[in-house]
Amino acid sequence: MSWINVCEETSLPIGTGVAAWVAGKAVAIFNLGKDGLFAIDNVDPATGVGLLARGLICEMEGELCVASPLYKQHYRLATGVCIEDNSLIASPFDIKTEQGQVLVLAKA
Amino acid sequence: MTVSKPKLVVVGNGMVGHHFIEQLCSLGLNKTFEVHVFGEEPRPAYDRVQLSKYFETGSADPLMLTSAQDYQDWGINLHLNTPITAIDIAAKTVTSAQGECYSYTRLVLATGSFPFVPPIQGNDRAQCLVYRTIEDLEAIQAAAQTSLVGVVVGGGLLGLEAANAMMQLGVKTHVVEFAPQLMPVQLNDKAGELLCSKIEQLGVSVHTSKATTAIIDGETALHRMTFNDESFLETDMIVFSAGIRPQDALARVSNISIGERGGIEIDDHCLTSAPDVYAIGECALWQQKIFGLVAPGYQMARVVASHIASLSSDSPSQSFTGADMSTKLKLLGVDVAAIGASRGFDNAQFVELSDNQAGIYKKLWLDDSGKYLKGAVLIGDNSDYSRLLDMYLSQDEIAGSAVELLLAGAEDEADLKDTSIVCSCHQVTKGDIVDAVKAGSHKMAEIKSCTRAASGCGGCAPLVQKIIDQTLQAAGLDFNAGICAHFDHDRQALYHLCQVEGINDFDSLMRQHGKPSASGHTYGCDICKPAAASIFASLQNQYVLNQDSGHVQLQDTNDAYLGNIQKDGTYSIVPRVAGGEITPAKLIAMGQIAQDYDLYTKITGGQRIDMFGATLSQLPEIWKKLIDAGFETGHAYGKSLRTVKSCVGSTWCRYGVQDAVGFAIDLENRYKGLRSPHKLKFAVSGCTRECAEAQSKDIGVIATDKGWNLYVAGNGGMRPRHGDLFATDLSSETLYKYIDRILMFYVKTADKLQRTSTWMDSLEGGLAYLKSVVIDDALGINSTLEQQMDLIAATYQCEWKTSLEQPEFLARFNEFVNPSDAPVADANAYQRIREQRFPNIKDVGAGTIAIKDITEQQTTTDEVLA
Repeated sequence: MSWINVCEETSLPIGTGVAAWVAGKAVAIFNLGKDGLFAIDNVDPATGVGLLARGLICEMEGELCVASPLYKQHYRLATGVCIEDNSLIASPFDIKTEQGQVLVLAKA
Repeated sequence: MTVSKPKLVVVGNGMVGHHFIEQLCSLGLNKTFEVHVFGEEPRPAYDRVQLSKYFETGSADPLMLTSAQDYQDWGINLHLNTPITAIDIAAKTVTSAQGECYSYTRLVLATGSFPFVPPIQGNDRAQCLVYRTIEDLEAIQAAAQTSLVGVVVGGGLLGLEAANAMMQLGVKTHVVEFAPQLMPVQLNDKAGELLCSKIEQLGVSVHTSKATTAIIDGETALHRMTFNDESFLETDMIVFSAGIRPQDALARVSNISIGERGGIEIDDHCLTSAPDVYAIGECALWQQKIFGLVAPGYQMARVVASHIASLSSDSPSQSFTGADMSTKLKLLGVDVAAIGASRGFDNAQFVELSDNQAGIYKKLWLDDSGKYLKGAVLIGDNSDYSRLLDMYLSQDEIAGSAVELLLAGAEDEADLKDTSIVCSCHQVTKGDIVDAVKAGSHKMAEIKSCTRAASGCGGCAPLVQKIIDQTLQAAGLDFNAGICAHFDHDRQALYHLCQVEGINDFDSLMRQHGKPSASGHTYGCDICKPAAASIFASLQNQYVLNQDSGHVQLQDTNDAYLGNIQKDGTYSIVPRVAGGEITPAKLIAMGQIAQDYDLYTKITGGQRIDMFGATLSQLPEIWKKLIDAGFETGHAYGKSLRTVKSCVGSTWCRYGVQDAVGFAIDLENRYKGLRSPHKLKFAVSGCTRECAEAQSKDIGVIATDKGWNLYVAGNGGMRPRHGDLFATDLSSETLYKYIDRILMFYVKTADKLQRTSTWMDSLEGGLAYLKSVVIDDALGINSTLEQQMDLIAATYQCEWKTSLEQPEFLARFNEFVNPSDAPVADANAYQRIREQRFPNIKDVGAGTIAIKDITEQQTTTDEVLA
């Protein structure tokens, strides 16, 4: 496992998501400003389509989530677990910034 | 050998028969009796009171009160399609039309009534119908498809319901009444007059004091109805709704005592002249009275259930002591109510209010001392009904002057005593509802199921809701009218807050009026954010992906990328084709672009072309080419005006009377880009043949030789609804004004995702009220509404053109921030069907058959390519 440099911090707009390739896997990255960076699998486990980065950021009972653009399931940004159906998980990735670069920990 | 259970037979499975079964089960008598229920209709009990809802939904499902499964679960034998033709009261058996014989220990007749068809020559001609069962409605619907004009015979309560149904089917409707006024049983002459004028404003022609003498062949329509005054009316269909008669034929042939003018005679326990035989509902005659409403029928059902229970236990038996026939309803959108002696009586004192400006008439009848309310009639404003009914039923002495009762506002409507009956169908008091709320039932649906309030005719639902709200508030409980967990406001309130306080960003809206989370987040959710975005756009009409104001983060799935997302995550593209008119050059340009990007193309229902399968990163390039070819965005992704469909119109069509296409294009150009609570569709037809199907649109315009007729609040979709005729023979200029006002009023006051149809129905007063606002400027806001629409029209921008001019915006359309790291693309993402590209997702097409077709067509395509 290794940290992959995906982009510069400045190319992550605040309040929305972007998708990035991390060792062949599509990862959705969300920049929530002072609340930090989050990364989960870009593929919506409910449909198998890669688009979670394009979802709307929501706060559901205190938890930060992204709503899938297709059928609006909410996935927790911290854990990737779906609020409506906890058997659906968009697995989370470790993410950090170093010297203005955004790094995501690749999975084996 | 086991002892067999006593047998209970119920003939009739209408509303009252079903209510009796419910009472029986609640007393546990379904366990002690073997119960057989016979219904002659093909389906179990349904709500006959709300019959016209069938046309709103096109389905009988919402009307159903129960199901065969319920009966099975209760252990009751339900025999549908099984009329009972004979009763042997000595042998205690009944015989069905199918010839089967069933014995009974106790028998309940709930055979209801049948529509009275006056004995007029020709009353059995084709398309001469009645209005009582779902089958009758189906026949009316079928007849309406080939009818331009229809007549309802009978101007009573049921007749006006039938007229409403006919209107909804788009048939020019006449009502013919024998008496000199409408609703002669309940209303006095003045009230009848006002009701008549209100209904005529809605486009129904009312003919009073007319007796039909014959129905013969017509010259311009299928029938001609001739009247006693030598006048006549031509019509394609006729619905008889001139009252009901008790269905007592079975009792009659079985030697059960029948009243002189029909009806099965019953005593206070609802027992007939035959031993152990009861009759309940509209077939029963109690003290020479028939009760043609559902509430008294339900009372009889309860009396019989309690009587049967009392025979085998110590439980007390109730008696039927007559019933109040007061009624409140909305006929064709007009409030009508009658309480007690609503037509007055000798020596009565009275107070009367006649407000021509507001279209309200109220009259209260008092006893000769003037202290007690004996009757009331209300037209145009029902809001005092509960209070007056309570006063009438309780016979409390009127405090102060009776005239004050006429002027008291509606705000204390729910200010009833705990013993006051709120739901007369199920005898639910205010106290019952309050107790249920305090016990934890806070939602309408919960109250309906635990108290049964508002589950009969439904007329008391608004009052029940008020009582729920009041009780919650009084108990300091959280009652949440807000759109989501982040706001206690509904969309209308948020709109006003944004407008009055000039709020134009979500963070301010949330901090000032919402509920940021404990951590201070103002993220909101996928309900409040798009709603706020729509409100900001309706008010300011700024670029929806504006970064500075943060609007970009608020947009929902489709608005966020100005495209319609598809199941595989690609987008479809729909450029505007105003009025459905497109030049060959533009068609070619579009075809070339679709071919270059291998987009699946399909003509939409709104007369434009949809191109599917564009990836996120292709959207800007494709739009650049489209804009260069003269196209602009079609807003297919937004809750906004989609299309103005048109027919060919007078420029080419030999029947057209106005230029439908030209007008459709002008309309589309005026209202394009308007963000609204729900998507909007318009259509313009160039003549009454209505080829553009304008009556199924939010705004429908149909040409006449004098101008344009405007229809509003139609829609297709899951619950199709014909638009209501709003105004006739308008000039283009007036039409624009009306549409400006209607749309802005809708944008201002509608709920989130509320279509124009449900919005209009939700307005107190419905269509008539909307007319008063838009045509008569009842609220004095028309110039503001027009100004606001002018602002929207003046600040229109093609969002794609704006987007392409902003490089920072285009970064949003990079699918990946690091595209160079992409793995090799999946070559199997698409398949070809009928020479076009489809996503390779298994449930495309119709299951296995489609997949077989794919293989065959793939071969052909490959061969062609080779």
